[in-house]
Amino acid sequence: MSSMGTTGSFEQVNSKVVRVPVSPAQPVLARRGAMLGYSGQVTFRPVFGQGHGVGGVVGAAMSGESNPMMATEGEGSVLYGYRGLHVTVLQLDGSASLTCEADRLLVHSAHLQSSVEFIGQGGVRAAVRGAVTGQGLFTTRLHGTGPVALLSHGGTFAMPIDGETVGVDPQAYVGHVGALQVELSAKVGWRDAVGRGSGEAFQLHVSGHGTVYVQASEKKF
Amino acid sequence: MPTLTAEKRVLHVDLQGETIRAAQGSMVAYTGKVDFKHAGMGGGGGLKAALKQRVAGESIALMECTGAGRVTLAQDALDVTLVDLPGDTLQVESESILAVTDGLRLDVRFTGLRGMTTGQGLATTTVTGHGQVALLSDGPLIGLEVGPGVPLVVDPDAYVASRGQLQMNLVSGVSWKTFVGEGSGEPFSLRFEGQGVVFIQPAER
Repeated sequence: MSSMGTTGSFEQVNSKVVRVPVSPAQPVLARRGAMLGYSGQVTFRPVFGQGHGVGGVVGAAMSGESNPMMATEGEGSVLYGYRGLHVTVLQLDGSASLTCEADRLLVHSAHLQSSVEFIGQGGVRAAVRGAVTGQGLFTTRLHGTGPVALLSHGGTFAMPIDGETVGVDPQAYVGHVGALQVELSAKVGWRDAVGRGSGEAFQLHVSGHGTVYVQASEKKF
Repeated sequence: MPTLTAEKRVLHVDLQGETIRAAQGSMVAYTGKVDFKHAGMGGGGGLKAALKQRVAGESIALMECTGAGRVTLAQDALDVTLVDLPGDTLQVESESILAVTDGLRLDVRFTGLRGMTTGQGLATTTVTGHGQVALLSDGPLIGLEVGPGVPLVVDPDAYVASRGQLQMNLVSGVSWKTFVGEGSGEPFSLRFEGQGVVFIQPAER
C-alpha cells in the first residue's frame, strides 16, 4: 500500500518541487533535464532503457516508452521539478507495484525495479484501449521498496478501490498501485456521432483492490 | 440537492438519484452508477436560451450527470470555487462554469460594448435561482465587495463573475499613446458601481 502522507526520503518543497537526498547507498533515477539545483558532490549520468541490460534498452526502444532518464549518484541533495507540473510523492513498500506511463515519472529510487509492460497482453480490448487513449500499447511498472515522484497537471487525488468499480477519464488517469484491472469502456452512441455527446464516451473502468491516482485536468503530456 | 465539495482544483459531487449539469467532458472520475448525457439545447435552458446563445456567441456545452455515486469534476487544473445562490442572480462568463445544481436557470444577458473589447462576446451568462454554482478560475478566486460610494475597477481579462445590484461600465484609457506603443498595457477596465460582490482571478486571459 502507499499513501499521499508518507513521503519517505523525498521531501516536498512545494506542490511542484521535490528535494531528494542522494548518497552512495541511495542513488536515484530521474527524468532527464528535470534537475533544478543541487548541493554536494552529485553526478548525473544518462541511462538508456527502462530495465537493466540490453533487454531493457531494446524493450524501451520498441515500446516507444523511451522516456530519457538519468541516474543521479554521489552525496548531496537534488531539487527536481518539470515544466511547472504538480508532483505527487508515493512510497512503495514492496507489497504492491505502481503502474503508470513512463513520462509521468519525475524521479524514483534506483532501488525500484522498472519494467515495460505490453498492455496488449490483455487481448484486443487492451490494445484498443491503448490506441484510443493515446497511451500507446505499453506502460511502465515499478516494483520494490522506495519512494517515487509522479508528475501531473493540477495535482493528483487518490481514489482507494476495494472491490467496487471506478470510472476514470482516460486523459485524467495518472497511474495506479495494487492489483487493479483497467478496462476501456466505450459508450459511443448516435449522440456522439452527431456532436451531441456528453464528452464522456470513453471511460476507463478500474476494478480490484488498490488505489488509482487521477489528475484534475484532461491534459496529457 | 446533491452535495458539492470543492477541493482545490476538483469538485466532488455526491449524487443520490439527483441530476447535476456540468461542463461537457469535465468528469475525471466517478464511483457508483452515474450516467452522462448531453444536456440539450442551451445547456438545458430550452430553445429560447439556445437561440440567444447562438446569437451572442456565449455558448455553454453542458452535460447532465444522473445517478447514485460520487462524480469528480475538474477542468484544465483550474481552481474550483463554490458559490451559493439563495435566489439571486450571478453574472458569469460561460467558460467559467464548471457545474450548476438543478433548479438554477441559465440565461444570456447582453452587455453591449464591454464584450467586444475583451473578446468575450457581446453577452454574459446569468445564473438565477436557488442552488450552488461551481466556478472555475485560473488561481484562487477573489471576491471584492462593492458598496455605495465605493466603486471598483477591475481588469476585464481578470473578471470572472459578479452578483448583486451592480452597474457595469467600460472605462477606456485609450489615447494616442496606446497607438504608438507607449500605453500602460491597461487600455480598458471595468468599473462597477452599486452594491454587490465582484469575483476576479489572479490571472489575465
